Amino acid sequence: MKATLEAIKARAIESIDTANDLESLDRLYVAILGRNGELTGILRSMPQLSKEERAEMGKKANIVKQEIEALFTQRRAVIAKEAQEKAFLAESVDVTCPGVKTQVIGHLHPLTKTYREIRDVLIGMGFTTFASPEVELEKYNFTMLNLPPDHPARDMQDTFYINDNVLLRTHTSPGEIRALTTLKPPFRILIPGKVFRVDEVDASHSPVFMQMEALVVDRDINFGDLKGLIDTFVKAVFGDDVKSRLRPSYFPFTEPSGEVDISCTICGGKGCRVCKGTGWLEIMGCGITNPHEIENCGLDPHEWKAIALGVGIDRVANLKYGINDIRHLYEGDARFLRQF
Amino acid sequence: MRLPLRWLKEYVDFNVTPEEFVEKLMWRGFEVAEIIDEMPNIKNVVVCTIKSIESHPDAKKLRVCQVDIGEDELVQIVTNSTLVKVGAQVPVALCGAVLADGFEIKPAKLRGVESLGMFCGGKEIGLTDADYEGASRDEVLILNEVHPNGQRVQEAFDLDSIVFDIELTPNRADCQSVIGMCREAAAALGQKFVEPEIKYVDGTGDVSEYAQVTVMNTELCSRYCARVVTDLRIEPSPAWMKKKLRSVGLRPINNIVDITNLVLVEYGQPMHAFDLSCVSDGHIVVRNATEGEKVVTLDSKERIMSEDMLLIADPNKGVGIAGVMGGENSEITSETKATLFESAVFKGSNIRATTKKLHHVTDSAARFIKGVEPVNAMLALNRAIELVEMLGAGRVVGGMIDVCNADIVERTITVDADHINKLIGLKLTPQYMAELLETINIATRVESNKLIVNVPHYRVDIESGIESDWDIAEEVARLHGYYHIPCTLMSGDVFLGKNEKSFCFDDKIKDTLVALGLCEIYSYNFISPSDIEALKLSADDERTKAVELLNPFGKDQSLMRTTLIPSLLKNLSLNYNRKSGYGRFFELGNVHIDNEVLPKEKKMLGISCMLNGESFFTMKGIIEELLDRLGIENVVYTQGKDNYLQPGQRADIYVSGERIGRFGTVHPDLLKFYDMGTKAYVAELDVNKLMAVANATRTYKALPKFPVVNRDIAVVVDESRTCSEITSVIKNTETETIVDDIMLFDVYRGAGIGDGKKSMAFSFTLRAEDHTLSDAEIQGAVRNIIEGLENKLGAKLR
Repeated sequence: MKATLEAIKARAIESIDTANDLESLDRLYVAILGRNGELTGILRSMPQLSKEERAEMGKKANIVKQEIEALFTQRRAVIAKEAQEKAFLAESVDVTCPGVKTQVIGHLHPLTKTYREIRDVLIGMGFTTFASPEVELEKYNFTMLNLPPDHPARDMQDTFYINDNVLLRTHTSPGEIRALTTLKPPFRILIPGKVFRVDEVDASHSPVFMQMEALVVDRDINFGDLKGLIDTFVKAVFGDDVKSRLRPSYFPFTEPSGEVDISCTICGGKGCRVCKGTGWLEIMGCGITNPHEIENCGLDPHEWKAIALGVGIDRVANLKYGINDIRHLYEGDARFLRQF
Repeated sequence: MRLPLRWLKEYVDFNVTPEEFVEKLMWRGFEVAEIIDEMPNIKNVVVCTIKSIESHPDAKKLRVCQVDIGEDELVQIVTNSTLVKVGAQVPVALCGAVLADGFEIKPAKLRGVESLGMFCGGKEIGLTDADYEGASRDEVLILNEVHPNGQRVQEAFDLDSIVFDIELTPNRADCQSVIGMCREAAAALGQKFVEPEIKYVDGTGDVSEYAQVTVMNTELCSRYCARVVTDLRIEPSPAWMKKKLRSVGLRPINNIVDITNLVLVEYGQPMHAFDLSCVSDGHIVVRNATEGEKVVTLDSKERIMSEDMLLIADPNKGVGIAGVMGGENSEITSETKATLFESAVFKGSNIRATTKKLHHVTDSAARFIKGVEPVNAMLALNRAIELVEMLGAGRVVGGMIDVCNADIVERTITVDADHINKLIGLKLTPQYMAELLETINIATRVESNKLIVNVPHYRVDIESGIESDWDIAEEVARLHGYYHIPCTLMSGDVFLGKNEKSFCFDDKIKDTLVALGLCEIYSYNFISPSDIEALKLSADDERTKAVELLNPFGKDQSLMRTTLIPSLLKNLSLNYNRKSGYGRFFELGNVHIDNEVLPKEKKMLGISCMLNGESFFTMKGIIEELLDRLGIENVVYTQGKDNYLQPGQRADIYVSGERIGRFGTVHPDLLKFYDMGTKAYVAELDVNKLMAVANATRTYKALPKFPVVNRDIAVVVDESRTCSEITSVIKNTETETIVDDIMLFDVYRGAGIGDGKKSMAFSFTLRAEDHTLSDAEIQGAVRNIIEGLENKLGAKLR
C-alpha cells in the first residue's frame, strides 16, 4: 500500500507538470483526488487495514494528499499566470498612438488668466476687488482726478465721448473716486476692467484694453511703501529673475509719480526689438495720490494718504505669453485661444 | 523736445557717454525716446581727391576716375558727372556704404569697367544748401575747402553729432526749451547751470512812434511784448544758426524768421515777426475774431475763424491767428524794411480749441498749449534783439511795448520738511533738501523744519496751495533719486483681502463653461446701427436703445452694444470663415442701455456654438449644466419670441417668474448677414439676474439606504404635448414611492403612431426611504403614473 501511495504521488507529479491548461489539470484532479479518484480509492480501502496500519497509512496518505493538492495549486497558478501573460501580449498597444478625446475642455482667455494672477497676488496683500462702470461721468474720469478741463489728455482725440458729461472711461482711475467717496478709509482695493482710448487699431494699439488699478488709503502710507508693493508685485507676477525699476514720471492724479519698468522678458535685458534696444519694458504707472484728488473726495489729505498703481493687463499678458500683436486678444480666433 | 548735443555743450561740460546721459536724465524724470544721428544712416562715405580721369572705352557719357581715399592704393570709380576735375575733392560712397535713403553701395561693372563706389551729391548724404553750399543741386558735390582724404563725411561737414529726442511730461512746460532742458541736464551731470545773460544795446528812437498794441481780450492774452527793428537786411542766416535750426528739424528761411525760430527753441517762447509796413498804422489789435472772418496764413491756406478764436489784427484786417500762425499778408519778405517782433502769452486752452477747430497744430501752438509764462516772454524778446544785433540784421528801435495784465510777482512757498519725509518715507534733513533744490536753481532757505522756497518764474508747475508740500516732495524724491528710497512694507491696519462676491460669481461661470469645452473671448464694445437692425427687435425692446458715441471711428463702430449677440456672431463668422475648426465660445461682458445721465450697464453672458454636431439641445445642455453648477433651480423654459432666432427653435429662460436669459437657433437671415454658411446657436443671460437666483450653499443629503428600481415607459400623446408637461405629471402623480431622475430618452413619430401624434419614452427611478420596494408597490406606482398621464394628458401607453 505504501508503495502504491508512492507510485500515485510519482505519477501525479509527472502528469501535473505536463498539464498545460486548466481543463486538463481539472480532469487530472478528478482522476486523482475526485470522488472516484486513485487516491480517494486508497483512502476508501483503509478500513480493511489493521488499526496500527490504518493509523500509519492514514497519516501517510493524508500527507501525500496534501502534497498533491499543493502541486495542483502551484500548477494552477503557473497556468493562470501564463494565460494572463498571453492575454496581455494579445492586448498590448502602441503607446505612441494618440489618446481618445472624450471631453474637450475649453480655455480661459489669456487676459482672464493674467488678470486672475495679478489679482490673486494683490488679494494676498490685503486688497479687495471693487467694481466700477465702463461708461463714466466726465468729472470722475477727469476733473476729480485733478485733470483740469484744459488738460491735453482730455482732448477728443484721446477720449470717446457720449456727451459733454459722459464718456467711456480712459483708465480705471475713476474707480478711485467711487471708492474714496463711498468706502470708509482705511482700505485697500483693486479695480479691474476695460478702458477705452481713441487709438486706431494696430499691432500695439487697441481702442479697448484692460487695466487694473490698486489703491491703498491709510493714515501713514508713503513712497517707500509704494516701492515695496511694486517690488513684491513684480516678483510675484514675473518671477524672481526679473528686475524692476521705478523712475520719476508725471500723472495729474499722483505726486510724486513714477513709472515702473521691468527688464525685458524677451531678451533678458540685453536689448531687442520689443524693448527698442533699451532692455526695459514699461508696465505700470504709480504714485502718491495727489492731495487735490483726496480733497475732491471730501477727505483731508493731511490725515489720509493714498498710494495707487495702474497696470495694463494686455501688456502684461503679451509679455508673459510672448504675444506680438494685441489684435489677437480681441479677435477670438480659436487657434489663438486654444494655446492658453 | 529735441536737444542737440552740440547745443547742450554750450551750457554744460559733457563728460559722459550719451548712454550714461540718457540714464541720468531718466532718473530725473526725462525719458529719451531716441538718440538721433545728425547724419542718419550714412556709413562708409568719405572724402576723396580725384587723381586722374579717363574716358570710358565703351560709353561716351561715362568717365573712369582714380581717386585717393587716404590709403596706399587708388580706387577706381566710374561716373557720369561732367563736373569732376582732377584735383577736386568730392564725397565718395565706397563698397558697403549706406546712403541717407538706406541704399547700399555694391561693386558694379559699368559697361565692362569696374567701379568700386559712387560719387555723392548732397541728396545722397542727406544735405541741402542749408548745410553746405551747392548741396541741393542734383550733382556731385565739389568741396570748397581742403579735407584729409578718407575723412568721414560726418566729420567733413561737422555733422558728427547726435540729438536727444526727449519725451517731456506735461507738467514740465519749462523744459520745452533748450535752456530749460540744459538746466536739468547740468544738474543731472552734477554741474551748476549758469543762466545765460542777454546782452544788447537798446536802440535809439521810440517804439511808440512806430507801433502800438491794443489787447481787447486780456483773459486770452495776458501779456503782449513787442519791439520794432528797422533798416532790415533780409538775408540767409549764418551757417552756425542754420546748423542749429536744422539740428532740431527746422528749415532755415531768412535771418529774421530764423531768429524767431531760434528763440522758440532756446526759450520755448513762440515769437512772430510782422512786416510792419503791412500792419495798418503800425497798430496791432489783439481781439476775438468775428464769426466767419477769414485769414490767409503763411502756408497760403485760407482759415475761417469763429468768435471764440483770438486774432492778431490791425485796424482793418487780420494779420495772424494768435499763437497758431502768422498771416500771409504781413509775412517777412526780401523786401521787408521794418519788422515788429511779437512775444506774447496766449491762453493754452483757447489755443488748443482753435487748433482743434482749424485742424492745424504748429510748433508755436503746441508750446502755448503746454503753457508759456510772462517773464519768459520778455526774456525771449530781449534775446531776439540780442540776435538782431549779433547778426547786424537791422536797426533796433528804442523801447519795448508791453501790454501786461499778468500778475508778475516773486513767488515764495513754505513747505514742511517733516511732511515731505512722511510722504516719501525718508529722514532727510531740511538742509539737504535745500541743497537738492539749489542744484536746479531753486533758491531755498531753511527755518527749523520748514523750507522757504523761492519758486522760479518758469516753474509754473509748483503750486502755492495745498499741493506745495507734494510738489516739493516730488522734486526732493526725484533729485535724491527714487533708487535711494528703500522698499518698505505697508504699515497700519491689517487687511483681509478678498475677491468680492460678484467677481467670484464671474469666475464660477467662466470655470464651468471652460470645463464644458468653451473658449473665452473678449470683444470690443462698439457695434454698428446695422448690427442692431439685423436683429429685427421690436420697437419697445430696450436693446434698440443704444448709446451713441460722439466721436466714433466710423458709423460701423458708433454704438455701444446693447446685446452680446452681434459680438458672438462676428466671432463665429471669423472662426467659420477662417476654418479654425472650433465652435464653442463665450463672452462675459457689459452692454449699455441708454438712460438718464449714465447708461444702464448690464453684465451679460453670451454663449455661442456651431459645427461639430451642435444643436439647439447641445446649447440647452450647456445652459442646464451651467445653471445647475450655479445652484439655480426651478428653471422654466418657454417658447421665445426674438426675431433673430429661428421660430420654433427659440426659448426664454425663466426663474421665479423673471426672465434671466434667452437662447436658440440663429435665424437664417441673420446667418447670411454675418456671412455664415452653417447653423449657429446663441444664448444670452443676464449675469446679475443669475446671481440673484443662484444659491451657493450646499447641504449634504443622505444617500439612499434601499435599492433604486429603474422603469421605462413609452406613451403616445398629441404633438402639442410638451416634455415638461409629461415630466411634471410623472413627478407629481400620487404614488407610495419616491419618483426621481425622470428623463426623456426617445421621441418617435411615424408608423403605428398615427398622424398628429408622437411617442415619448421616459425613464425614471422608484425607491422608498425606509424599505426595499415590493413588486406590488412598484407595479402600483407605475400604474398610477400611467393613469395620471392618461387622465391628465390623454396619453396612451404604447
